[in-house]
Amino acid sequence: MTDLLVPPPALEVRRLTVSYGGRPVLWDVDASFPAGRLSAIVGPNGAGKSTLLKACLGLVPSDAGQALVLGEPARRALDRVAYVPQREAVDWDFPATVREVVEMGRYRSVGWLRRLRRADHEAVDEALERVGMAPFAKRQIGRLSGGQRQRVFLARALAQQAPVLLMDEPFAGVDARTEAALVELLLGLRADGRSIVVVHHDLGTVRRSFEWALVLNVRAIACGPVEEVLVPETLARAYGSAVGGDEDEELAWIA
Amino acid sequence: MDRLIDLIPLPYTDAVVALGALVLGVVAGVLGVVAVLRERSLVGDALSHAALPGVCVAFLLTGVKEAGGLLAGAACAGIVAAVCIVLIERGGRIRSDAAIGVVLSSAFSLGIVLLTAISNRHDADQAGLERYLFGQAAGLSEHDVVVTGALGLAGLLLVAVGFRALKTALFDADYAAAAGLPVRALDVGMTALLVIAVVVGVRMVGAILMVAMLVSPAVAARQLTDRLSRLLPLAGVLGAAIGVAGALLSAREELPTGPTIVLVGFAVVVASIAFAPGRGVLWSAAQLRRDRRRALVESVLVDLATALEAGPPPTEAELCDLSPRPPRELRRGVRALDRAGLLGRDGDRLRLTEAGAAAARRQLARRDEWSLWLEHGWRLRLPDAREPDPRDLERSIGPEAMAELRALAR
Repeated sequence: MTDLLVPPPALEVRRLTVSYGGRPVLWDVDASFPAGRLSAIVGPNGAGKSTLLKACLGLVPSDAGQALVLGEPARRALDRVAYVPQREAVDWDFPATVREVVEMGRYRSVGWLRRLRRADHEAVDEALERVGMAPFAKRQIGRLSGGQRQRVFLARALAQQAPVLLMDEPFAGVDARTEAALVELLLGLRADGRSIVVVHHDLGTVRRSFEWALVLNVRAIACGPVEEVLVPETLARAYGSAVGGDEDEELAWIA
Repeated sequence: MDRLIDLIPLPYTDAVVALGALVLGVVAGVLGVVAVLRERSLVGDALSHAALPGVCVAFLLTGVKEAGGLLAGAACAGIVAAVCIVLIERGGRIRSDAAIGVVLSSAFSLGIVLLTAISNRHDADQAGLERYLFGQAAGLSEHDVVVTGALGLAGLLLVAVGFRALKTALFDADYAAAAGLPVRALDVGMTALLVIAVVVGVRMVGAILMVAMLVSPAVAARQLTDRLSRLLPLAGVLGAAIGVAGALLSAREELPTGPTIVLVGFAVVVASIAFAPGRGVLWSAAQLRRDRRRALVESVLVDLATALEAGPPPTEAELCDLSPRPPRELRRGVRALDRAGLLGRDGDRLRLTEAGAAAARRQLARRDEWSLWLEHGWRLRLPDAREPDPRDLERSIGPEAMAELRALAR
């Protein structure tokens, strides 16, 4: 009965376990990201943040557990998810223009063997416009800055027009101006009713701009509204109280 | 087929060779692009080396030297080799270059052993098989050309039909999988394309050198275009040119066919890497020289303008003392300014010409603009993903944004 009243979460993970070579990277992880929100997955390096997204999409095999997208098993709901991989995962010297990469976002809904229709070209235009890459549409992707490449990846996902957006470290290695522009873009997408889950390393931005967070370190430490979850106790449990360097400062900043 | 051959203004045997080389070049050129972009060109090398034992086994089984049967053997051996590479990679958690090396050398050794065994038992009969080692254009029959042509056409059709899927998976396999593409099946398909290319080419170029025909056209074509939709046909055209030129040259001069084709291909690769506009070595070197010269000229110009501002016109030696840069560099900059007409001399004292003074003002203004950007730029909204370039801020962020920046600073 509650299904009728409460929309299913954008992404839900139930007892997910993934291991590489016998060692668990994710261990019985339960998490839930509400629809229509801007959510973050945070945790130290090696916590399994990227693996969590990949396992949900079936890109890495999981040992046990399940991922649901909008209440349906993720494998059957791939058409409602747009994935933004890490920028370093691809060779940017690939012979393609900005526009061609964004067009890839349309292929699934058009059919891999068919030509793009007018509506598809419009969707591509709109995505390019939205991320501010329209003037660069004909440029070879190798001749873009890191921030511009990130915008291209986001545009490709937007062209899919999927309700759920999963982004892996979109802010890694981009300048402050691009980060601010991207966050603003994501807030705009949320205002359109889309659900966004972002793997992120900067606790400061999460606290300022995100509403929901999963604190992860192999196990799910805490999952909920940012102000309840990003508190010193949970962060200390995720990052360890003895770690030095940036994380300590971030903890201090948060606290 | 006969009429097609009649159309070629060459003696009959040369015309057959040219046509065969054309098929080889187009097919290997186009399919080679897929291998090169996957960073799997060495798999092509392993598959072509495996063609040798494949051909030998096919001969032992059928006892005839008919091209169709032998090439079927080569194809089967290619598939076996590809499976072996994957099994070694996965099973032993061994890096792919090592797995390829193991399979390549073993397959080739097996081929040589079989070839020797056949030659010991069948006397002169095996003469036909040796050509699969280094390739041979002479003796190519119309029938051979038709068989390889049909197979190659099938491969090219696969690429044309699956173009979007291939492009997406080649660029970003994870995204392709998340968007619902059967990435594993595509991987198998791309390896099958490689097998096709090898089968089409091995008779003419030979098992040892076939990889060059996969790689050279793709590499050369990549220098000339930035788009996959143009890269594929261009690699086909370059491959055809390399194949036909090499095959005819070898037939005329009685040179070994495979090596001749490969050397022609190498010449094309070298030429493209050297001369390609916008990407070639010569172009990049010229660009680098221009950039460096410009940086030096602009910077020495500022040195001189600053010195003139501070006191009487300096001599070149005084300017050297005033500037922290190495004297040789400064003298080089002064000479360049002189040549550009920006510098005047009163005896041994340096001054700026009118053009020089204007250029110096422009340089100083650009430095001020950059400081302005650093101080106030963060408050400025740029309309799109454009990014500031310190060398020319106004052009990079646009005149409106520049005006806004100036207003912010006031």
